[in-house]
Amino acid sequence: MTHGASGRTTWAIPGGHIPLASTGHEPTFVSCDKLCVLNTSATDAQLALTIYYSDRDAVGPYPLSVAARRVRHLRLNDLIEPEAMPLEVPYACVVLSSVPVVVQFSRRDSGQAATAITGGIAFPAAE
Amino acid sequence: MPTEWTNWSGSLCFTPNTIAVPADEDELVAIVRHAALAGRTVRVVGAGHSSTPLVETSDLLVSLEQFSGVLEHNTAARTATVGAGTRLHALGKQLHAVELALENLGDVDVQAIAGAIGTGIHGSGKTLKILSSQLVGLRMVTASGELVEWTEQEQPEELRAARVALGTLGIFTTVTLQLQPAFQLHRREWCAHVEDALDHLEQLVEQNRNFDFYWYPRSDEAKLRTMNSPEARQPDLAFARLLDEQAGWSHEIIPKQRTLRFDEMEYALPADAGPACFRDIRQRVKAKWRRSVGWRLLYRTSAADDSFLSTNYERSSVTISLHQNNSLPYQAYFADLEPILRAYGGRPHWGKKHTLLAAELRPLYPCWEQFQHIRQRLDPQGLLLNTYLRDLFGIDQEALR
Repeated sequence: MTHGASGRTTWAIPGGHIPLASTGHEPTFVSCDKLCVLNTSATDAQLALTIYYSDRDAVGPYPLSVAARRVRHLRLNDLIEPEAMPLEVPYACVVLSSVPVVVQFSRRDSGQAATAITGGIAFPAAE
Repeated sequence: MPTEWTNWSGSLCFTPNTIAVPADEDELVAIVRHAALAGRTVRVVGAGHSSTPLVETSDLLVSLEQFSGVLEHNTAARTATVGAGTRLHALGKQLHAVELALENLGDVDVQAIAGAIGTGIHGSGKTLKILSSQLVGLRMVTASGELVEWTEQEQPEELRAARVALGTLGIFTTVTLQLQPAFQLHRREWCAHVEDALDHLEQLVEQNRNFDFYWYPRSDEAKLRTMNSPEARQPDLAFARLLDEQAGWSHEIIPKQRTLRFDEMEYALPADAGPACFRDIRQRVKAKWRRSVGWRLLYRTSAADDSFLSTNYERSSVTISLHQNNSLPYQAYFADLEPILRAYGGRPHWGKKHTLLAAELRPLYPCWEQFQHIRQRLDPQGLLLNTYLRDLFGIDQEALR
């Protein structure tokens, strides 16, 4: 049995904030905000991320793709196109996808030696 | 009507009084003679890929875009004469059509050949020289409007000056290049932790025709790139993960297509100083700049040469370059790292961001005065200089009058 397209085409993560400090070996323990995108459809997903800030204009789109029937994990810290995101700054991320996908957001903050991880589903926004 | 001109990255923007696009040498000669009589100044532009204000002018800007293509070639002698405004991407294809190739290319191939030669661009490879070293002859229009032809055999000293001249000896119309038979390369890209890459750095540099690596400051990972003959035995890198591989003709394999615009500062260091300098740079970036800098640093190698203003003059070099997205501030980042690069004896890339002027540059170049003497002889009135170049060379405006 194959699974059809799951999820939504619009997702929002309002609580972004990439920690600056890290402890431990990198990249394994680097502090980060991470997106995990699941594409269960038979079509490649073309994603466009827009990053919103509290004190300046939004930046985007950040183009990404997730192949059909694949999952992709990415650190938001690593995005550089169109520009690197600042660390230690509040932001929100809106994900638009060409096909329905499921988006999970998580944060690893290793600024203290005791590693902390938080996670949750992104908000499936109205389409 | 004056038109604004912007360079590739967008960090250099100015409005020349006139942008001239001569169709041939006769037209260029007339433009230069007219400018000389009128007491004007002239700067020449290729692809506009440099981000120092080498071409900035409020007067006359001359574009070489009509001087394009392979004009003559000699496959047996491995030489070709090409228009000075030929873009490297087109040049690679046209040379390949006559079974020839440049020895090496940089990371991108959008530049014009005269600009690439004039600013000393390079690729990576311990035994490979900067692109200017392939210049063995040229035709140019001097500041007096005279058409001059130089060859390595007839004017060896002048050629050493012309190979990296920032467009200040004359306006090149054609360049003759010493080339190689067309050749193929096998390119492999690897991901590794940067400490593992540094532990194997010497053998990576020694064992590959082309080797460089990017370091990503927010993950401490490195992307390694090796290029060798497809027939060469290439052992896998046990400490790295293979990301991609591709084989083909050199002009297709060496450069990459890039749409992302960025500003860059690059210094060439004595090769032996490269690893220690990189470690200092890495430490500083991690300690201070990760908040605002997400993009990578590039580590490359290249061979010594004898061109007067080459960053590789009489020393094999490691180059370290810093990148920042062109939409983000770069000044404070580059200014903070520049003293570290200078402390290791670095010479700045002429076409990329740096803050050095004549007082700091003169001691770095043993043949500085020889170059200036030739420049002064060819252009005593400074027709081909702008404010930036006068400061760069330490030329008093009053002395030109």
